[in-house]
Amino acid sequence: MAIWILAFHLYHYAMMQIRIAKENARLQLAAKEAQLNNLSAQLNPHFFFNSLNSIKALVASDPEGARRAIDLLSELLRNSLYQQNNMLIPFNEEMALVNDYLELEKIRFEERLCYQIDVDKEQENWPVPPLSIQSLVENAIKHGIAKSINGGLVKIEVKEMESFLRITMQNPGVLKDEEVAGGIGLPNLQSRLRLQYGDKASLTLTQLPGEIVSTVLNIPAAP
Amino acid sequence: MKKIRVILIDDERLAREEIRRMLDAYPDLEIIAETANAEDAVELIEKHHPDLLLLDIQMPGKSGFDLLEMLQQVPEVIFITAYDQYAVKAFEADALDYVVKPVRAERFSKVIEKVRNKLSRTPSPQQQLFVKDGNKCYFIRLGEIYLIESMENYARLYFRDTTTYLKRSLNQLEMEVDQAMFFRINRSQIINTNFIKHIEQAENGRLDITLHDGKLLQVSERQSVKFKANNRLKTKFN
Repeated sequence: MAIWILAFHLYHYAMMQIRIAKENARLQLAAKEAQLNNLSAQLNPHFFFNSLNSIKALVASDPEGARRAIDLLSELLRNSLYQQNNMLIPFNEEMALVNDYLELEKIRFEERLCYQIDVDKEQENWPVPPLSIQSLVENAIKHGIAKSINGGLVKIEVKEMESFLRITMQNPGVLKDEEVAGGIGLPNLQSRLRLQYGDKASLTLTQLPGEIVSTVLNIPAAP
Repeated sequence: MKKIRVILIDDERLAREEIRRMLDAYPDLEIIAETANAEDAVELIEKHHPDLLLLDIQMPGKSGFDLLEMLQQVPEVIFITAYDQYAVKAFEADALDYVVKPVRAERFSKVIEKVRNKLSRTPSPQQQLFVKDGNKCYFIRLGEIYLIESMENYARLYFRDTTTYLKRSLNQLEMEVDQAMFFRINRSQIINTNFIKHIEQAENGRLDITLHDGKLLQVSERQSVKFKANNRLKTKFN
């Protein structure tokens, strides 16, 4: 009898060990994925070099502008270097970064870049993945403004829908077929959204008439 | 002293301002024009024939590479860009140099040194072409080309140990190249006479030309007569 009881407990102990090992492996994998993700969610290095080059010119021709640009760049750099480990940040923090980013790019592109941001006050604390909206804006600048001689308007509108936050962006540009299908330029954001929200979040790019690209990002309230 | 004449091409005004300021330290270089895009640049280059282009690669509309391809005659080129990924490409293209923005003063002074050296060694800079072939780019000095073949709307250029295609007709190219160096041997081929290994008389007074690499080419009857006349070969071959 005692042997039976011992055998029973040994068996369950062993099963428990296997379960724990499995769980650990799964958690480790998830942690690794998150890490990988965080690593790639960075500001584009070209952006920093181009900004520094603009600032170098401004130091002589417009010292006040140069001082402002350094403040903006510092803020973005701080964000990029220290905010890596947060899976989610409040919406208003993300928008502060987007604003700084746009102001700096405006210094570089001058009259070629115009932007307009329309946000309801209430979504301030809505949790969003860091650099999510920023990636959209960066993409708009890269494909819509930098590639166009006359530039154009980047328009961002944020609205709270029933269970998610909807970020709509419009910018000049022509989508290539593969961009509509696979979101080239934004694959990193796509995979981060999938990891974070499963299929509850969505990101779609659409070609509108008049060479305008519309991007819609839906972020649910909770993962 | 004759100044080195520069055209500056960058889509960002501040970037141009910055290069201008750096060039202030080098009075022997003079910016004769600047522009924000490739289309305007082509016009300015064909009009002013500068010695040197300071050229951004990534620009709206046409890129720096596209611009060079549009030129009949390509001056010396320094690429100035914030994009590292183009480095390899630019070097394959034998650009005189390649620098990343922001450009350090020390680095810039080396660039200027290279420019001065290059332009003083060849007082009348050799004519060169720029060709983009897939991922490869070439600066080809005309003297390096030994054979040009017509391929429908393209011309196939044989140079060094490779070939590439240029979207230009043989007739067009015949007008552009140095007539003393190049000779149209038939309807579809132009050769660089410096690369002729030997010439043989064939039937009907036609000539067969062997190039340095052993390639045997047939000169048309009409062009054989012209070739002989040009080179006073009449007595030797008749």
